Amino acid sequence: MAANYWDSTQAKYWTFTNAELAEMRQELADSEQQHDLSTRFPLPDRRLVSIYLQHNLVRLAKRMSLRQQALATALVYIKRYYLRVEIRRTNPYLIMTTAVYLACKMEECPQHIRLMLGEAARQWPEMGVSESSKIGECEFALISTLNSRLIVHHPYRSLAEFTPLFGLTGDEQTLAANIINDSYNTDLSLTSAPHIIAIAAIFLAVVLRPTGQAAQNYTAASSPASLKQVGPKLGKLVDWLAESKVDMGAVVDATQEMISLYEVWEQYHERICRESFAKFMHTANK
Amino acid sequence: MDKRHPSSFQQLEKLGEGTYATVFKGRNGSTGQFVALKEIHLDSEEGTPSTAIREISLMKELKHENIVSLYDVIHTENKLMLVFEYMDKDLKKYMDSYQAPGGGPRGALEANTIKSFMWQLLRGIAFCHENRVLHRDLKPQNLLINTQGQLKLADFGLARAFGIPVNTFSNEVVTLWYRAPDVLLGSRTYNTSIDIWSAGCIMAEMFTGRPLFPGTTNEDQLQKIFRLMGTPSERSWPGISSFPEYKTTWPVYATQELRAILPQMDGLGLQLLGQMLQMRPEMRCSAQQALNHPWFAELNQRSQQQAAAQGQFAPVQGMVAGQQRAY
Repeated sequence: MAANYWDSTQAKYWTFTNAELAEMRQELADSEQQHDLSTRFPLPDRRLVSIYLQHNLVRLAKRMSLRQQALATALVYIKRYYLRVEIRRTNPYLIMTTAVYLACKMEECPQHIRLMLGEAARQWPEMGVSESSKIGECEFALISTLNSRLIVHHPYRSLAEFTPLFGLTGDEQTLAANIINDSYNTDLSLTSAPHIIAIAAIFLAVVLRPTGQAAQNYTAASSPASLKQVGPKLGKLVDWLAESKVDMGAVVDATQEMISLYEVWEQYHERICRESFAKFMHTANK
Repeated sequence: MDKRHPSSFQQLEKLGEGTYATVFKGRNGSTGQFVALKEIHLDSEEGTPSTAIREISLMKELKHENIVSLYDVIHTENKLMLVFEYMDKDLKKYMDSYQAPGGGPRGALEANTIKSFMWQLLRGIAFCHENRVLHRDLKPQNLLINTQGQLKLADFGLARAFGIPVNTFSNEVVTLWYRAPDVLLGSRTYNTSIDIWSAGCIMAEMFTGRPLFPGTTNEDQLQKIFRLMGTPSERSWPGISSFPEYKTTWPVYATQELRAILPQMDGLGLQLLGQMLQMRPEMRCSAQQALNHPWFAELNQRSQQQAAAQGQFAPVQGMVAGQQRAY
C-alpha cells in the first residue's frame, strides 16, 4: 500500500532469518512448557495448519468479495501474531476474523464490523462469538501485539512490474500469482523481501508451465545453471538476474521452500486440522 | 517508571479536538520533555477508527525531519494514546498571531519565512510521495511549526478509503479550500498532484494572510477557483466534460494573472506558484520539481553545503537512492 520496502517496518522489524524464527518459536514454546500444551494438543506441520487457515479465509473472502491484497495482508498479520502468541492459547477463528477486519481497514476496503461478525459466525460456528465488540477488543490486541506496524509489502506488485520485463504470458502471470498466494503458507513472508518471492514464483511458473510435469522440473529449479536449458524465457530470466543485484541465493532458497511446501501439501487433510483446533479450543481456553 | 505507561506522562492543557481524538500537551515525567498526546477512544461499532489505524501505521513508516514524529503508541484498557513530538503551533495559528514588523496585513508572513516554510513543506511532501503516500488533507492547521522555525506535516490519516471525506465522523466539515479542482470535479483517480495543489494554495495564503479560495460548498469552491484560473473547457482541459461534477452552466471567467492578486510576490515565486496551481493535474509540477525550482536555489545550496560538511551525499533527485536499492 505505501512506503519504500527497504526503509519499511516490514524490512526492519518483521523480517527474520530462519534461525531467528526457530529461536523465537522455541522461546514461545518454552514459555508454555509448564502447561504442556504442545504434547496435550498436537498440531500438524505448521504449513498444513497455515493451509487450513488460508483455505478458510479464502472461503470467507469469496463470500464477502474481498480483495486478494486484503486477504494476503490478513495472512501476514496472522503469521506475525502467532510468532508472539501460542496458537493453542487463542481462538483461531476469532483471530482470523479480526485479521481480515483489520486488513480491510488497512487496504482501504473497510467492512462493517457486524457484517464481518455475521459472515464469520456463519462460516465458523465453532468461533462462539456473538458480540461485535469482541472483534473490536481482539483488533486492539492484534494492533498492540503487532506494535502498530501494519503496512505490508506483498510480492504482487513486483510480479506486475516483472511481467512485461520478462514477457510473461497471461497464463504464466496467473500461475505465478497463485504460487505467491501459496507462499503465505510458508515462512517466506517473514524471511524474504517481496521481490525475491515474486522472482521465485515466476521461476516456478515458467518452469512448470511448458510441460505441466511438475516433479520432473522441480529438480531443475534447484540449480540456476541447469535452468537455462529449460527454455529461452528462462534463459532471459537467468541472464537478467545474473546482471541484477538480486540475491540469487535468496531466490534459490525461496524456490526450494515452495517446492517443499508442495511436497508437504500432499499430506493436507482439512478434517485433521479442524479437529486438532477443536481439541485445544475446547480445553486450553478454559 | 515504565516508559510505556500512560501515567508516565503528565497531562497538561488541551491542544485541540480532532476528528477522532483529543490532543493534549503532555510532559514526560522522567525526561521533562514536552510531547503531544493524542487520545483515541474505541468505538464499539467500529473498533479502532480506521483513520487512527491509518495514521499510526503510516507514522511508523515515515521518518523524516519535515514529518512530525510518532514516539510511541500506548495501549490501555479502552483507549489508545499516541505520543507525538511536541510542536509549538500550527501554521494557521502562527499566521493568525503574526504581524509583520514593517506593517502589512495581519497574517501575511515575510518572504524569507515563506520560502523556508514552503521548502520544508515540499520536502515533507516529496518524502511522502517517494514512499507512495498521499497526504490528501494538507492545510495550514495540519502543518506544525516549532520555535526553531521548523515545519512538519501532521495529521495523516484524515483521508479515508474511497476518496476524500466531506464529512468525517463528527459533524466537523473538512475544509474544501485546499482541495484540487480534479477532486472537486469528482475524480477518483487522483494522485500525488492533489497535494501539490494544496501546497500552492498554502503558499499564496502565507503571502496575503488570507485563504486563496475560501469556498463554502463544492460548487462555490470550483467557481472561486475558476474566477482566478479561468473556467475550464474541453479546449483548455480535454476530457473535462466527462467528470461527474462537470456543468455546462458554469459562468465563463477569463484567466487572471497571478501577479494581479499577489503583487507582493517576486517573479520567480510567481513562476513556481503557477507551476503548482495548474488546473489539470498532469500539468502540475511534482514536489521534487518544485524543490529544484530556482526560487529555492539558495536553500538548496545551503542544504547541500551542510550535507557535504557532515560527509553525506545529498541526493538532488530524491528517488535515486531508493531505486538503486530496489532489487
